[in-house]
Amino acid sequence: MSDVEIERWLSDALRSNVARNPHAAARIMRRVRAAATELSLPRTSLPRHGRRHSILGLALAAGIGSITTVSTLSPGAEGVRGRSTSAVIGDSVASTLRDTLRLVRLLFDDSTARHVAVVGGFNRWGASGTTLVRDAGTHRWSATLALRDGVHRYAFVVDGVRTIPPSMEKHRADDGMVYALLHVGS
Amino acid sequence: MGYMEDASDHAIIERVLSGDVEQYARLVDRHYDRCARIAVRMLGNREDAEEAIQDAFVRAFRALDSYENRERFQAWLTRILVNRCRTILERTRRRETVFTDHDHHALDLIAAPVDTSDAWPDLERALDSLSAEQREAVVLRYADDLTYEEMARITGTGTSALKMRVQRAFARLRILLGEVQHV
Repeated sequence: MSDVEIERWLSDALRSNVARNPHAAARIMRRVRAAATELSLPRTSLPRHGRRHSILGLALAAGIGSITTVSTLSPGAEGVRGRSTSAVIGDSVASTLRDTLRLVRLLFDDSTARHVAVVGGFNRWGASGTTLVRDAGTHRWSATLALRDGVHRYAFVVDGVRTIPPSMEKHRADDGMVYALLHVGS
Repeated sequence: MGYMEDASDHAIIERVLSGDVEQYARLVDRHYDRCARIAVRMLGNREDAEEAIQDAFVRAFRALDSYENRERFQAWLTRILVNRCRTILERTRRRETVFTDHDHHALDLIAAPVDTSDAWPDLERALDSLSAEQREAVVLRYADDLTYEEMARITGTGTSALKMRVQRAFARLRILLGEVQHV
């Protein structure tokens, strides 16, 4: 047999569907529902974007002036590339939406970076992410996020390069990717 | 719900993450057959394949908030599935080693083909003759119609190594198929 014949035979054989177990999808969905309960996914059918913005708007409108309390954070070592810290700096309760958000400020020290953003599940891993703003005096980059309690996976994008500072807690997911972990709430 | 029939994977994921968990069934339905083709051919039996597929879909769901849109959901899910298949293969290998030492009759039961009515008995025998790495490469290449670059992203193996595995698999299959034709 030639390679072409083997290739054709393999393609035909391997691309043929195997018989589907009629109960398989139901079994998967039972486990998915159990996982959803465990993960406490929001119980709403509202589009995610609209809901998130609404919550954020409520959170900010609720007068979370504690954003300005960032000065209580202990400063990291200046000039150390990729040093990052995070701290919860305020709470907001949007009771009508049954969601509690905490305002979390992420700090990233890198005096040589030209652009720093953070991507994570909280911003749907958007290509541009959430841009951090640089303080001209300290060279520290920062962004404030409104996050639910729980463990959030995220990464920084420094000048277009996905970056996880070595000092941060990391997690290797089933898909092989490595993420930084941010614990919010209890 | 009708408009979701043609919705992109990304749109469905957005709905799931916003709390409409039942929408995930659409992703299961959409990708199940492809996952089954890969898992059954990688693992060689339906029972283990079902376990791998279930685990992959559930793990994908649990990690959905870390799914990055820059990658196709299909490729992301396949990577998770392949990792599950590898774990099960490793577990099976250890289990068979244990039975080889203690219970040859039990090993025969485990090694027996589960579905003898399969339309491709020669295919299964052919795949069995390959190493796990060669088998994985051949299955991804031809069951899922992936390019070597896509395979590299899924398996974490370089394209050159993957091409070599497929070439060696072909060499092995050429011998085996020749033997079959002369039986």
